[in-house]
Amino acid sequence: MTGTAFTGGCQCGAVRFRAERLGRASVCHCRMCQKAFGAFYAPLVSAFGLTWTRGEPAHFASSNLVRRGFCAACGTPLTYERDDVTEIAIGALDDPTRAAPVIEVNPADKLPFVDGIPLLPMQPPEEAPAAADFKARVVNHQHPDHDTQAWPPAAGFGS
Amino acid sequence: MSETEVRITGGCQCGAVRYALHAALSNPHICHCRMCQKAFGSFFAPLAGVPIDRFEVTRGTLAVFRSSDPTERGFCRDCGTPLTFRHVEAPRISVSIGSLDEPEKVPPTHQYGIEGRLAWFGTLPTLPGETSTEEDVPEAAARIAATNHQHPDHDTEAWPEARR
Repeated sequence: MTGTAFTGGCQCGAVRFRAERLGRASVCHCRMCQKAFGAFYAPLVSAFGLTWTRGEPAHFASSNLVRRGFCAACGTPLTYERDDVTEIAIGALDDPTRAAPVIEVNPADKLPFVDGIPLLPMQPPEEAPAAADFKARVVNHQHPDHDTQAWPPAAGFGS
Repeated sequence: MSETEVRITGGCQCGAVRYALHAALSNPHICHCRMCQKAFGSFFAPLAGVPIDRFEVTRGTLAVFRSSDPTERGFCRDCGTPLTFRHVEAPRISVSIGSLDEPEKVPPTHQYGIEGRLAWFGTLPTLPGETSTEEDVPEAAARIAATNHQHPDHDTEAWPEARR
């Protein structure tokens, strides 16, 4: 059924994908996932009926059993691939709210401060004026959160 | 210790890009904005910064994507690891905390880009924890450990190391 597929892609839009169905969503705390994502953990969801609708990811074989897909043009981490399953990076989905994690994997490797993050204070209010000024001036080169006929836009950014 | 003696190291997963910071990191934070989410394929970007003249690439070169007119994001073109973020007009650069060799030493202190915070973000600490890969599938974990192609969490003289 159209309209219910799960689409997504990298930041620059050179690589786009579509999945018919998503499976279990998780966050993995292992050090391999931390470093691959440059982050505290990897948010991943198994994807079924996955097709690459624009471009294809580049791959790094992070071990003999696993390869990880990413966009060679902008770096966005996109996949974790084993012979039996391909998982996609939840943040690369156009609507990441459709893949709320239900389990933590390798919690023994969890960084000690991770559980406290949701309770951290927000950006200090004295920084708000500069942040608002920045947002007012920014011309965004990120691909929008939906499929596009052509990319980058023919009229260029900022039009 | 004087600031010039500080040396904090990090790099990408495959080890093609390594960097050193010659100053203490400041303003460790996470950013929930949609730009950071998509750049990191994640729920947020974890970032901390130094003055740009205290940032040194010690191996390889950063690939850069200009994610907007005033910002650029550095990554490894060989493995994709998100590595840096900077405002092109600012005398400062931030690195992804997860790419540091010792990320546990850089806990974030603030949340930015709150307009992008995912609705269920606050519930993540209450998720059930699965057993470790080592406990769950020990044979697979041993094979991964024996053939791990990730650069170690310290500088190396040469990389990749000679074939095992």
